[in-house]
Amino acid sequence: MVASLVQLRGVTKRFYGQPVLSDVSFDIAPGEVFGYIGPNGAGKTTTLKILAGLITKFEGEVTIGGANVVTERDKTHALLGFLPQSAGFQNWRTVESALDTLGALSGVPSATRAKRIPELLERFGLSEARTKKVKQLSGGMTQKLGLIQALLHDPKVLVLDEPLEGLDPPSRKLLKDIIRERQRAGTTVLFSSHILSDVEDVADRVGILNAGKIATSGSIRELMTAFGLPIEIEVDLAVVPETLPFDGLGTVTPHKPDQWRLEVPTSGDADAIIHTLIERTLAAGGRIRKIGVAEPDLDDLFAQYITRSAARG
Amino acid sequence: MASATALLVRDELIGFAKSKVMLVLWVVLPLIAIVGYFLLPATLTGGGLGDGLGGGLSATAFMGFLESSLSGTVAALMVAVDIVSEKNRKVYELFVIRPIRREAIIWAKFIAVFSCVTVACVVAMALGIAVDVIRGQPMTGPMIYDAVKSVVALTGVIALSAAVGVFFGVVARSILVAVILILYVGQNLAIVPMLPMYLGILPGHFWVLMAVSGALVGVLLWISGLLFRRAEL
Ligand SMILES: Nc1ncnc2c1ncn2[C@@H]1O[C@H](COP(=O)(O)OP(=O)(O)OP(=O)(O)O)[C@@H](O)[C@H]1O
Ligand SMILES: [Mg+2]
Repeated sequence: MVASLVQLRGVTKRFYGQPVLSDVSFDIAPGEVFGYIGPNGAGKTTTLKILAGLITKFEGEVTIGGANVVTERDKTHALLGFLPQSAGFQNWRTVESALDTLGALSGVPSATRAKRIPELLERFGLSEARTKKVKQLSGGMTQKLGLIQALLHDPKVLVLDEPLEGLDPPSRKLLKDIIRERQRAGTTVLFSSHILSDVEDVADRVGILNAGKIATSGSIRELMTAFGLPIEIEVDLAVVPETLPFDGLGTVTPHKPDQWRLEVPTSGDADAIIHTLIERTLAAGGRIRKIGVAEPDLDDLFAQYITRSAARG
Repeated sequence: MASATALLVRDELIGFAKSKVMLVLWVVLPLIAIVGYFLLPATLTGGGLGDGLGGGLSATAFMGFLESSLSGTVAALMVAVDIVSEKNRKVYELFVIRPIRREAIIWAKFIAVFSCVTVACVVAMALGIAVDVIRGQPMTGPMIYDAVKSVVALTGVIALSAAVGVFFGVVARSILVAVILILYVGQNLAIVPMLPMYLGILPGHFWVLMAVSGALVGVLLWISGLLFRRAEL
């Protein structure tokens, strides 16, 4: 077991007596990408602000790299790159001046800034806006500026509050690519979102926060089990054999023309079943166009899950 | 990190020096001074203002009074409104998540506003005096001492006003509250350095009161720093 880089233990936060976070605990290992998911008002921003040292009055203990986020702020800040949910910049600043100052305050030497700032601006398609006043930027452009300031000093830990918000599809893809790149370089990433499908292709692990409580956390696969979701195998046949190959393997439902979905019993092994299906189909003279574990609609599931746990109270 | 503070001061100086309010001050203050010297007699006698100065208030002292109370108010409002609005727009989040001393942010604001406004005032006064000299008013030793005292008093008023502005900027959550606090509470404090020169109160204690003003500025900035450090931004 690798020591965790980010650690929350029993975090409880109240605003005016109302609990907003109740006993939230989770760990993030070095180099891990953690997706922090929850509906509006769940307490995501509150958690991330605690990590960033912006909220200091709370119960519980939070550390980054072993340093306490309240009492050893200088140490944790040296490790951190943070994107607030709505990043503000001084009105009179140009894009360049804002980034240059924030980079300098993070301790990036001026030669490095002179190289990295244009690189990142280029990458996010903001080169043209270099000399524009920050207040003249569009919402998405401001969001990109916020992302650049978080990446500028190549921090060990990236904490991003809804980083995909307001970005167009190519920029969303770009950001996901960057997160993967950073991960390969050893950066630990924690980012929040409302949308489970947003995080599934980048996050190693997901934590689901609902009404201030961590409802569940784990890999997407583990979450599906937590959701009580059966695993389904989707079979697409080019030539349908006389006898269908599903006998005794599980419940089958026709899905589309020449397409079936087989629900794998909880005791079943999806890989072994796929193997059997292929053998049987070919033996019966059928031909397979496509076969594999069906992609569940995560967002549907998530919505169901939230509704269900809300009903449970 | 001293370099972080220096960097913030530099940035804030640029920010304030080019701000619209400052641009107006750069024009209005010299204008008032020049016009003032044209209209005023060399010595103002009688009236409440000159009492206790034994003879009257010089034109220079009067102009200093006018300019400093005007620009002191502007300095206080400018810095307070700036801090409150930047707090509300979450500008400081991106600063304080970096390994710097938080206090440096507001101290930089103080230094920037204080320097900009003081320079504008001193330039204005110098212009006024120059106009006066050109008109044929001779410069005597006492007059020069008087001018120096005026400039020191003016600096004190601006420093105290700016410090009050920083304090209320840190404390207040809305611009309106900050403005009201400055106009009704802050302005009474900023009068301390004006007492001997302009109001004729404790005239023999000019330098003592300047020292008191300096100490007040220090205390205000220190408390503001402490509060800003503790604040959840
Ligand atoms: N400064 C504050 N004072 C009082 N209540 C607050 C404050 N900040 C947040 N809250 C409350 O805490 C709860 C959680 O807010 P938070 O911003 O953490 O949610 P979130 O998960 O980030 O939501 P969203 O997806 O909408 O960004 C909300 O009910 C909100 O009203
Ligand atoms: Mg939020």
